[in-house]
Amino acid sequence: MSVRTEPIIAITPKRISRRWILGGLLLSWIVLAQFLRGKATLELDNPDNSPFTTWAGEVADSIRDNRTDGAAFKFFFNPIREFIDGFVTLSRELIAIPSGSSSIPVLGWLGVISVIGFVVYAVSNIRMATAAVALTFACGALGLWTDSMDTLAMTFAAVILSLAIGIPVGIWAGLSDRVLKAVTPILDLAQILPTLVYLAPLALFFLIGPASATIATMVYSIPIAVRLTAFGIRGVPTSPVEASISMGTTKRQLLQKVQLPMSSRTIIMGVNQTVMAALSFVVIAALIGAPGLGKPVIDALIIRNVGEGFVAGIAVVLIAIMLDRSTSAAISSQDTFVPPSDADRKRRRIGLAIAGILAIVGIVLSRQLAWAAFFPKQIDISKQIASASDSSVKWVTENMEFLTAGLSKAVTVGVLNPLESVLANSPWYLTVVMITLMSLILGGIRSAIVSATLLGAIVATGLWYDTMITFTQTIVATLLTMVVGVIAGVWIGRNARAERALRPILDAGQTLPAFVYLIPMLGFFGPSRFTAIATGIVYSIPIVVKIVGQGIRDVPVNMIEAATSTGSTKWQLITKVQLPAAKKSLLLATNQGLIFVLAVVVIGGFVGAGGLGYLVLLGSSKPELQGKGLVAGFCILLLGVMIDRIAQYMVARNSAPKH
Amino acid sequence: MSEVSSAISVNNLWQVFGPNPEKIVGSADASLPRAELREKTGNTAAVRDVSFDVAPGEVFVVMGLSGSGKSTLVRCLTRLIEPTSGSVVLNGEDIMKVSDARLRELRRTKFSMVFQNFGLLPHRKVIDNIAFALEVNGVSKEKRHARANEVIELVGLQGFAYAYPEQLSGGMQQRVGLARALAVNPDVMFLDEPFSALDPLIRRDMQTEVIRLHEELGKTMVFITHDLSEALKLGDRIAIMRDGAVVQMGTAEELIANPADAYVEDFTRDIPKSHVLTVRTIARPLADTETATGRTIPAETIIRDATAAVLDANGPVAVVANGNVIGYIKSRDILQVVGGGTEA
Ligand SMILES: Nc1ncnc2c1ncn2[C@@H]1O[C@H](COP(=O)(O)OP(=O)(O)OP(=O)(O)O)[C@@H](O)[C@H]1O
Ligand SMILES: [Mg+2]
Repeated sequence: MSVRTEPIIAITPKRISRRWILGGLLLSWIVLAQFLRGKATLELDNPDNSPFTTWAGEVADSIRDNRTDGAAFKFFFNPIREFIDGFVTLSRELIAIPSGSSSIPVLGWLGVISVIGFVVYAVSNIRMATAAVALTFACGALGLWTDSMDTLAMTFAAVILSLAIGIPVGIWAGLSDRVLKAVTPILDLAQILPTLVYLAPLALFFLIGPASATIATMVYSIPIAVRLTAFGIRGVPTSPVEASISMGTTKRQLLQKVQLPMSSRTIIMGVNQTVMAALSFVVIAALIGAPGLGKPVIDALIIRNVGEGFVAGIAVVLIAIMLDRSTSAAISSQDTFVPPSDADRKRRRIGLAIAGILAIVGIVLSRQLAWAAFFPKQIDISKQIASASDSSVKWVTENMEFLTAGLSKAVTVGVLNPLESVLANSPWYLTVVMITLMSLILGGIRSAIVSATLLGAIVATGLWYDTMITFTQTIVATLLTMVVGVIAGVWIGRNARAERALRPILDAGQTLPAFVYLIPMLGFFGPSRFTAIATGIVYSIPIVVKIVGQGIRDVPVNMIEAATSTGSTKWQLITKVQLPAAKKSLLLATNQGLIFVLAVVVIGGFVGAGGLGYLVLLGSSKPELQGKGLVAGFCILLLGVMIDRIAQYMVARNSAPKH
Repeated sequence: MSEVSSAISVNNLWQVFGPNPEKIVGSADASLPRAELREKTGNTAAVRDVSFDVAPGEVFVVMGLSGSGKSTLVRCLTRLIEPTSGSVVLNGEDIMKVSDARLRELRRTKFSMVFQNFGLLPHRKVIDNIAFALEVNGVSKEKRHARANEVIELVGLQGFAYAYPEQLSGGMQQRVGLARALAVNPDVMFLDEPFSALDPLIRRDMQTEVIRLHEELGKTMVFITHDLSEALKLGDRIAIMRDGAVVQMGTAEELIANPADAYVEDFTRDIPKSHVLTVRTIARPLADTETATGRTIPAETIIRDATAAVLDANGPVAVVANGNVIGYIKSRDILQVVGGGTEA
């Protein structure tokens, strides 16, 4: 070591020996995999069932047979379904589908737009309101008014129901340590659960349709509302709370008059994230019958029609931007506890009155006149957009083949195939033993036990081979994500200007539903495993970059100053000081990256990536493979838990005090 | 002091944080130094075996270094922290034994607190901050605003009733804190380092303010501070805490004249003794070589104030208490104190 002055880079002998063991292990794994190639891979052809998946299919059948008479259905599942179905129908009749005997929804397109304008103006400002109106109008111009409204209505219904449950539970968890302790594992699990996993099981109990889709969406978004509400309540400074108690508040008064008003900002932030989560889920929930934009997206993906998918994808993006901007504008207008001055308030009241009148006029018109009720067909630019996107994709794939096909081939041949041959195309016992040994070295004995157990369970399901295919793609995508993410993360971590420039893009990237990334990737790379990987990378890069950037920024200044004063070069500074010091963030980013990638890679199964995602899709279309689809979802869950546990143990081990 | 005549009576109060607080109280371990106790049992004895009485209308000051348990003590007195053991009697009512509802009622009407970091509610106007205790007690808006306006005047915040806390300076924010504590017209006020976060000039203003309020309203106060000059200014009596226990309690003069140990002495070192001690403390018998000048001076006179008269006298001056001469002083005695020499 040439630089002796930096104690943080001192490599302990133990660490070196651990590295050697890991390297040796990897080498022997590769060699053994070569020798035993193709043996005991447990590959199961797509149309075939394993004993376990057959059994799961039978269980699913018996559940289905029970739907009308079983007590659990009669008194639990069915009433819930009916209630939610009613609520969703109400919300859809308001803006999307004909209400009652009328041929139009309660609000025609002009009415919807006026109400959106009014509401957004009321919670933020005129600029946001105009933007929201324009974005909503654009959805209509894409020829997708009804689908867009269905998506909006589904999102709205799911958000209302999620908040109705999530905020009270969050408040409770914010007030009580015991409740927080009880819900935390559930929240954590929900965070690592890939979306595809619980669609099929829910559809089994709640039938395919809007109700199931809404419940699935709620499962996904309630934890977010709970987490942020609890976080907000707990974030209220102690001194006003203590002062209030000292003045004799009851618990209820304290909550109403102090804790809730003071955490409103964080709670609204929770609303924003709940909305975004619900939207992205509603799109995916098209798989179990959610009406709206998800359907054209999925249809387009399955028949590989990039142009049409692209149009629907744009509509999703427009709605996402509209919802995100207007809800987050509501947050920033709450920056201070000091309300605007009287003059401002007066002006605002006049503005609201005008907007209100406009909205009412819009509503009335939209209920009376055909042109205001049905979105005008003349304004339809979907064909142009579809063909433009088709031709630009064509241009890119033809003229930049070295990029698209080249990249795809390089990754597939250079990384994906070799890894697949080690993980999937070698005997299962070899893979199980090696992964267990590696997690023993990396995460310790408990991590090894967890890995061995989960891998054993996967073997038992009979879907070992497909799981390993998905696992391979997840690892490759995560590796590439980390390469790009660390470089970009270091850059924004060291450069405040870059951070400010990139932040809006990163924020936006995080809010879009994973599905919409799949469409352009499909265009560029065709139906292939690499498309799934590329989508996974694009989807998970924002979160990785953010975490790494934060980690780099959080490295104590004095550490950097000390290293600089000893004459380190910039490169030395990054590699020997900042990155090692941000190690915990790197691990965390890897963990998050893996989870995000896994969620997307399985969706990649729809566009030719195979693996578990494809089995889930097959299961939902072929009755005889339903059990297999359910089990595939279960394997995704096992895989996710395994990845998360190993990463958590590694983080715990690396952040343990060093002495 | 008998129980009835005291506003606050604290007996054998303990507050132990940690896994098994009850076991520590009164055990042999309790007298271990704090670090050792934590090492051995995992507990922190923040308040140990504290007893004192405060007379109605008295300002009782608690002093001590950071971490000595002052805040914990004052929070125990109002049960913001549930004490591990001991009793606290406020106006004849045992606080430890009252129900939750009664405790709330007492907090709303009988005692109030002022905090080091103000603890104002940022989302409420000054007037609604001040009226908060009345509001939670169900007083009508009209009445509580009327009362809030009275105390706003009292603390000199006229014109700021409809401002928000973040629009005020630190000193003004703490005036709101004071006004809020005064709004319920409490019997007892607890002030936990109310002025530590303010800069020296404003702090001096606020101290004067509290003295004025005390003179006008005559509230019983428990005042926490780590600033001796503040303690001397405000306090009738001072208790000095170390590691959770009270090491000495008495008037400023008693503490300075007879510090119980080096810790107390350390506290008092920087204070000019001539500003605190009375001539009583340095009065001595007449030496054989001296002859009295015939002049006299009351025993309660602060040394600083006696300086001119004694220097002027050109010889021993008689110190008189209740009409009796209790001793004599002359210029050398005074100069010794002023010059910082240690008195016998
Ligand atoms: N909730 C708690 N849990 C555990 N220990 C605590 C708790 N509150 C206070 N302590 C400990 O009790 C001791 C006394 O703390 P306290 O805040 O009463 O000191 P203080 O005299 O007010 O100090 P300062 O002048 O800094 O305000 C400290 O050692 C502190 O660490
Ligand atoms: Mg304190």
